[in-house]
Amino acid sequence: MPHDIIIIGAGHNGLIAACYLAKAGLKPLVLERRAVAGGACVTEEFHPGFRASTLAASTGPLSSQVVKELQLERQGLEFIKPTVRVFAPDSNGQSICIYEDAQRTADALTHVSAKDAKNYPEFVSTFARIGRALSPFLRMTPPDIDQLSKGELWSLGKLGLAIRGLGKKDEYRLLRYGPMAVADLAAEWFETEALRAIVAARGIFGAFAGPWSAGTSAALLLQAATDEQAIARAVFVKGGMGALSQTLAELATRSGAEIRTNAEVASVSVRDGKATGVVLTNGEEIQGRAVISNADPRTTFLKLVDPAEFDPSFLNKIRNYRAHGTVAKIHLALSALPRFPALTDEDSTEKLSGRTHIAPDIDYLERAFDAAKYGDMSRQPYMDVTIPTLTDQTLAPAGSHVMSIHAQFAPYHLKEGDWKSRREELGDTVVNALSDYAPQLKESIVGRQVITPLDLEETYGLSGGQIHHGEMSVDQLFAFRPLIGWARYRTPVEGLYLCGAGTHPGGGVTGTPGANASREIVKDLR
Amino acid sequence: MKMVGAEHLPTDFVDDIKRYKFRGSSGKVNLALDGLPDFKCMPGAGPHLRGAVSISPSVEYMERAYDDAKYGRYSRRPYIDIVIPSLTDPSIAPPGKHVMSCFVQYAPYNLKEGNWDDKREAFGDTVIDTIAEHAPNIKDIVLHRQVLTPLDLERDFGLSEGNIFQGELTLEQLFFLRPAPGWAQYRSPIRNLYMCGSATHPGGGIMGASGRNAAMEILKD
Repeated sequence: MPHDIIIIGAGHNGLIAACYLAKAGLKPLVLERRAVAGGACVTEEFHPGFRASTLAASTGPLSSQVVKELQLERQGLEFIKPTVRVFAPDSNGQSICIYEDAQRTADALTHVSAKDAKNYPEFVSTFARIGRALSPFLRMTPPDIDQLSKGELWSLGKLGLAIRGLGKKDEYRLLRYGPMAVADLAAEWFETEALRAIVAARGIFGAFAGPWSAGTSAALLLQAATDEQAIARAVFVKGGMGALSQTLAELATRSGAEIRTNAEVASVSVRDGKATGVVLTNGEEIQGRAVISNADPRTTFLKLVDPAEFDPSFLNKIRNYRAHGTVAKIHLALSALPRFPALTDEDSTEKLSGRTHIAPDIDYLERAFDAAKYGDMSRQPYMDVTIPTLTDQTLAPAGSHVMSIHAQFAPYHLKEGDWKSRREELGDTVVNALSDYAPQLKESIVGRQVITPLDLEETYGLSGGQIHHGEMSVDQLFAFRPLIGWARYRTPVEGLYLCGAGTHPGGGVTGTPGANASREIVKDLR
Repeated sequence: MKMVGAEHLPTDFVDDIKRYKFRGSSGKVNLALDGLPDFKCMPGAGPHLRGAVSISPSVEYMERAYDDAKYGRYSRRPYIDIVIPSLTDPSIAPPGKHVMSCFVQYAPYNLKEGNWDDKREAFGDTVIDTIAEHAPNIKDIVLHRQVLTPLDLERDFGLSEGNIFQGELTLEQLFFLRPAPGWAQYRSPIRNLYMCGSATHPGGGIMGASGRNAAMEILKD
């Protein structure tokens, strides 16, 4: 069967692009180098009987438009939305909790600060308003800066009007927030350090930045555009993130796409400046009318295509595209639910069901980043912890639990040693740091998996171990993602496209890059 | 807030001014010298002393200098920008003597421990020690020193929180956001009260543009 389109990589964006393209009547072939489809959205056994969402722990959240257009919930996909967004314990047995319900959160905050309790609902509604105004921005193909088309002017104008419609106060907020350090934004709203740290952490999640780094508030605006909230919540998928990929893969296949695993692409074939297919590492050649890369920009342009196909200045810019990974992932197989002194037994099952945030103050987050600046792992890392087994018993034996820890910072470039020799040290550091908050944790650990930034690169193909396919800083977003002039999912090689997190609107399990890219590709191929 | 009083101003404007960030981060050390500093990397006098001398040996050095300030202390090894104006303008020092002017960063206005009046001399020593690592003869030629802390900049020169630019020059405080969104056209909520300083567009530095722009607006009115 001839294929119209070859998609390199069965990450969620590649699969979503395959779904849209197949629905548009094209025949995509998705090639995945690993034995399992899903990229960063996979559920794998890491200890006998224990399974975890290996990389992404929850959806980013998935674009509601993608869920609706692909009718994902009808495909049997079950989303789990805990009532708790964030539980944040400190090491003295105190804690604060952010619930789904803003009023419930405000009521709980009154015990900590009357001012913060008063401001919290306004904080939530402000970001909801700004997020709603910004949301069309995510589904927009970044404009061609040199030659704005009428359609682009129209979309930008509409976005401008939506922002105008917010009124002066929110409009000014939006203008000010973009370039601001997230520590300042958090301090403008709240006086409680623990709450400031919860807000600030969202600005640096996955980034090579600390809360005092300029521009870190932009991530909150992007987050708000995605789900109208500044403080992201964990939306789990029943069966782990692999179930999402499974559903997408089945949907793509049913719609006419083909997915091949254990099929690693060695190179993209280019003839007369046009992509004509790919060559696999086993030597097999596959032809196609177009090639779409779900791999990150550095992998795509620096590894898969002959450099002679590009202008040297283009290659230079891609080499300067920043992708310094800072995240490690640790999974613990636990014989029992960990006890946090801040919680009673009755409290635990609800409060630990969302994200557990470990970083009690802004300085803690900044110091964690300081280590990374100088090439070392944080001794006291910022940790974002989820225990998916509290809401999904399919992942571990009865009574046991899986703890999934996003640990930051673990810089890809170490000043001393390498990640292969320092993996267990990293695991110990994270477990020790977490034990300050859950003192009996070690007693219940029956197995652990430590994924270093190098593993993220070698096993999962994320260049530099960067979980977002490249730093999500303002100079690498929208019309600059991955490069100015090449932010429209197309590349200097005709017929070669990008559809991954290295394109607008970037990382997180939103599916929007895949959906946007497929829209552009359909335009070109029709 | 001091001269007009919050009670005469709109609430939103007062909120904006309250959140306007100053946070001075630099100090100034002026030295009267008996001779010229002798730098290890380029010994002797010469044209290299006539421009700016920058003590900023690496990006990491400057980042570590900033790290100290983030946690509320002055840099143990600061970034120093030095000029010796007496080399090009002999009128400012007696014959054979020199003036050395050192811009020192970081010196955060808000100290975590102690206060600037108690730390002034220790801060001055840090600056001299840092320079001595590059020009070892400095300690022998200092005749007198003046140490200006961010607190001195505030008290003696009227610079709030010792910020030399009348407010941080960060993107969220520039152009139409300087000093407050909606009040960036040199006018204020009080009729006939204008602003013409570095806290207006285009901000700090000795360029005079704020003053000129303000004058043009005032002439229009």
